[in-house]
Amino acid sequence: MMAKLILRRLVLSLFILLAVSVLVFFATLLLPGDPARAILGQQATPERVAALQAQLNLDQPAIVRYFLWLGGLFVGDFGMSTAFGGPVSALLSDRIVSSLVLMVLAAVISIPLGLGFGIFSALHRGKRRDKAVTWVSLTLAALPEFVIGIVLVTIFATTVFQILPAVTMSPPGQQVWMFPSQLILPTITLALVVAPYIARMMRATMIDVLDSGYVEMARLKGVPERQVIMRHAVPHAVGPVAQVIAIQLAWLAGGVVVVEFLFRYPGIGQALIDAVTFRDVQVVQAVSMIVAVVYVVVNLLADIVGIMSNPKLRSAS
Amino acid sequence: MRTGTGLRRVEQALTRRGILGGAIGVGSVGLLAACGPGPAAQVDMSGGPQRGGALRVGLSGGSSADTVDAHIPVNSGDSARVINIYDTLLIRGDEFELQHRLAETFETNDDGTVWTAKIREGVTFHDGKPLTADDVVFTFERITDPDDPKSGAAGLAMLDEVVATDDYTVEFRLNEANSALDDALGQYAMGIVPRGYDPENPIGSGPFKLKSFEPGQSAVLEANHDYWDEGPYLDEVHLLNFNDTDAVINALLSSQVDCVGQIPLSLVDVIESDERMRILNSETGMWLPFSMRVDKAPFDDVRVRQAMRLVVDREEMLEQVFSGHGRLGNDMFSPLDPDYPSDLPQRTQDIDEAKRLLADAGYPDGLTVELVTAPIQAGAVEAAQVYAEQAKLAGITVDIRRVDTTTFFGENYLSWDFAQSFWYTRNFIPQATSCALEESSTNETQYTDEDFADTFYRARSETNPRLRGELIRQAQHQLYEEGGYIIWGFGNQADAYQSYVGGFVENATGLPLSGYTFRRNWMGEVS
Amino acid sequence: MSENTVVDPSGMHREDQSAELKQSASKPTNIVQRVWAQSEGRIGVILTALIVLLAFLGPLLAPVLTGYSPTAFADRPFQDSGLFGTDDLGRSVASRFLAGGALLVTYSVAATAVGLIVGAAFGMTAAYAGGAVDAVIMRCNDVLLAIPQLVFAMLAIVVLGPQGWVLIMVIGITHAPRIARVSRAATLNVINEDYIRAAEMYAVPRARIIFREIVPNIMGPLSVEAGLRLTYSIGSIASLSFLGLGMQPPTADWGLMINENRIALSIQPWGVILPVVAIAILTIGTNLLADAIARATASTNVEKS
Repeated sequence: MMAKLILRRLVLSLFILLAVSVLVFFATLLLPGDPARAILGQQATPERVAALQAQLNLDQPAIVRYFLWLGGLFVGDFGMSTAFGGPVSALLSDRIVSSLVLMVLAAVISIPLGLGFGIFSALHRGKRRDKAVTWVSLTLAALPEFVIGIVLVTIFATTVFQILPAVTMSPPGQQVWMFPSQLILPTITLALVVAPYIARMMRATMIDVLDSGYVEMARLKGVPERQVIMRHAVPHAVGPVAQVIAIQLAWLAGGVVVVEFLFRYPGIGQALIDAVTFRDVQVVQAVSMIVAVVYVVVNLLADIVGIMSNPKLRSAS
Repeated sequence: MRTGTGLRRVEQALTRRGILGGAIGVGSVGLLAACGPGPAAQVDMSGGPQRGGALRVGLSGGSSADTVDAHIPVNSGDSARVINIYDTLLIRGDEFELQHRLAETFETNDDGTVWTAKIREGVTFHDGKPLTADDVVFTFERITDPDDPKSGAAGLAMLDEVVATDDYTVEFRLNEANSALDDALGQYAMGIVPRGYDPENPIGSGPFKLKSFEPGQSAVLEANHDYWDEGPYLDEVHLLNFNDTDAVINALLSSQVDCVGQIPLSLVDVIESDERMRILNSETGMWLPFSMRVDKAPFDDVRVRQAMRLVVDREEMLEQVFSGHGRLGNDMFSPLDPDYPSDLPQRTQDIDEAKRLLADAGYPDGLTVELVTAPIQAGAVEAAQVYAEQAKLAGITVDIRRVDTTTFFGENYLSWDFAQSFWYTRNFIPQATSCALEESSTNETQYTDEDFADTFYRARSETNPRLRGELIRQAQHQLYEEGGYIIWGFGNQADAYQSYVGGFVENATGLPLSGYTFRRNWMGEVS
Repeated sequence: MSENTVVDPSGMHREDQSAELKQSASKPTNIVQRVWAQSEGRIGVILTALIVLLAFLGPLLAPVLTGYSPTAFADRPFQDSGLFGTDDLGRSVASRFLAGGALLVTYSVAATAVGLIVGAAFGMTAAYAGGAVDAVIMRCNDVLLAIPQLVFAMLAIVVLGPQGWVLIMVIGITHAPRIARVSRAATLNVINEDYIRAAEMYAVPRARIIFREIVPNIMGPLSVEAGLRLTYSIGSIASLSFLGLGMQPPTADWGLMINENRIALSIQPWGVILPVVAIAILTIGTNLLADAIARATASTNVEKS
């Protein structure tokens, strides 16, 4: 039963990715301008344009090009960047690592933060402390990420205090994560976007669990309250919350775009915006696909966690 | 970073300066965060040039297509490299005057068909070989190679052959008279290279040698101590590429680089107020015009064109777009040309006259036009907005259509009816060659007037400076009365550098950082 | 602001909840009162109204209060002159701030409406038709959901250009899949009610069943959804303008102002701070409102159960 459900999800995910690839490829075909001409720029003589078109397979029909492109994706060949010259994979490899660093840091900070405040809030349900957490999380959840980022920059980098860098900047050839102080503000921004959702979900689930007969029983048995919470309540609440956490992580894949732009962080989000500005079709395709893959895979994991933690299915298997 | 020693030195240099930066505080790594008063290190610049040290230059932009080939520089970083690795026969100096470099003399015969260069003796290439007339001949053969013409070839179309008449004399024989060949050769893309030159091993005779090069990332140049002229004082120059203007300015403020070229003019006053920083604010002949297609309605009517010119409040344009750092334009280019007609009355905003001209041209109720703009240069999109606002007064509705730079210079470039352009400092003859004749490669206004062309060709072949000047003024006057460009101003070139860097002087060419002539720079003592 | 959440303010899965909320909209006046009865609701209404008033009165008041129209030049760029100084082109920040909210609010409401209409239409169709139609619609939904909203919007804007209708449609369409899910679930629950079955048996026209019986019954979950989606619309459109892909110069717009002036954040912060504060108040207001609506409908439910 469980295995069948998971398999179904897996097949569905593959189908979704395939459909996304069709959508991305044919949407970018509509972009005006000839990539070969764009690569050659001022040196675009008709012969050189024709030669390069052949080299880039631009003389083939769109459907053939789609399959060539799709085939390339599986071996890490994303084509040639028109704006920067050279293969897209070379352009993106460092940036993918930089973006992953940011996303992992944000996750590492926001998950315990969200869980902690959620539990805290649930244990003080209805009291002023709970209200305070609710208000703060409602407020933070409302704000667009660039608003949170700019507020942080204003407070910590430019206008109020000047203790943290406002933009990322790495000397040529060095990686951005070699300069930890530059990572602080982008990480906090992302964490503040994600944590409120985790906190609210944790609070609601904890309240359900605390009200359950199961916890009641433990209390009646005289188990110390602290142990009731840590041994009995929290583990039961974590299952459903895990799914929300996974969804939030998937969101990070798209959400880094604005945060990277704001902090000039050299990740794939910044690459996407640059590519859009320069009409760099191959990079736009590659980044869209990478983001979609992360998104689908994390959502798949979320589904699997959901299926596994569903007591009905668990008992059935 | 994959390549060896040179880049390790960059890192060492970064760490060394890092100590200096550390004193200023982490806060300086912000969007202009350090502009308030901060503890500035004491710098003694009174002693004059000193030898030694490495200058770290921040460049914005650059890509894996960056080159060190002497003859195909494209972007600003390319020009910084070729200017320092190679030498030219002639070059434009700080005042935009023609300086003799490798050519001790460069003179024409009476009818302008043969020019003779006397090559400086005792100059050697980086590999120790002497530079002779034969290398000059090879250089121009390479530039004008019909199979692979280089950037400068377009300006040398009249060049028939280049002949070495002895070891240090070269004759340039032309197929038509040209009085401005010296101008055409005085470009940085005309560097002299040794016979057998291979761009993979870029040997020149310039003040610096290439030590390492990572396209799109960095280049390290080291001093050529056998250089024939002043300098170089520095041991090394590190050219570091950053993604964009913000990043490079932050690198300057956090002392990761010592100087940056071309900062936004709206930030000049701010950076200047930082006592660690110096601003180099150079008047240039760079122009950021609007271009009207003279063959397309409504701009095919000269009254409409003049009305479009009369709606501009040029003073306001300079204030808003260049923060006041520039000079007024009078709808004519090449303001640094000695024959620029500065006696013509300065055109000013005259809304009534503009309305009258529009009514005469058949637009009594005003006019709606689309202005195509793109961030082709700092200030371009801003200028379009200011123009749209000013044109309203005369009943002209300017719809701004903003496209990206790739689209702007794409298939429709040269066919936008009403758009913008950007040009560096040039004298009249080369400028008009590029943009005001039927044969021009980038005639954005499609201006192909026969009278104008006639005057131009006579001027180009006239070797008598006085007569040539008169012809040029006559041609300029025609542009003033009926041309397709709205030339409202010439923007300054503003660069910023740390106070401990010496040797920067204002430079009118429009190239950043004193025309990238790093041989004159030196590092002051930081105490 | 995180997009792909299935959590609603009370921490329940939206689909589960909407199933319980099927009759929540039966007494709309009650909902308004219930929303107002909560402190969150009151504050949400006040904050939202404040910014909406500012957004729509601002363009009229801007020249009167500041002496400059939003595109007129007041001084050199980034100066301190006037109440809040000048922007990157030397225009009055105060004037542009007053004029900069109208389009954002209008587009956000329009995009939310598009999302609600398209989403509800597909969701109801899927539920009502069932079978293959249902499967196709829901798989298309999954595909759209696999592309992050902002990335999808960027792609569409690059292809179609940053015009107003493109912004509205693109943001609306990115909302549609989530709204479709909600309305599908809500419809499914209504369909199985006896009175619908009876109506079908008596051959009442389908359109009439849909508009008379089903639409009113899914209004409750949709109104909660509307508040939430409005918050996200505001955030998305402001973000796109901030990225330079939304409103285009010389329009006065809060998101675009932040983009244009952030280079001078440390010397002339007002051009950034004012629009940031306005966007923040607006989104907090609509989010509180959405939360209050959710609680109001949920409490209806609690009473009935």
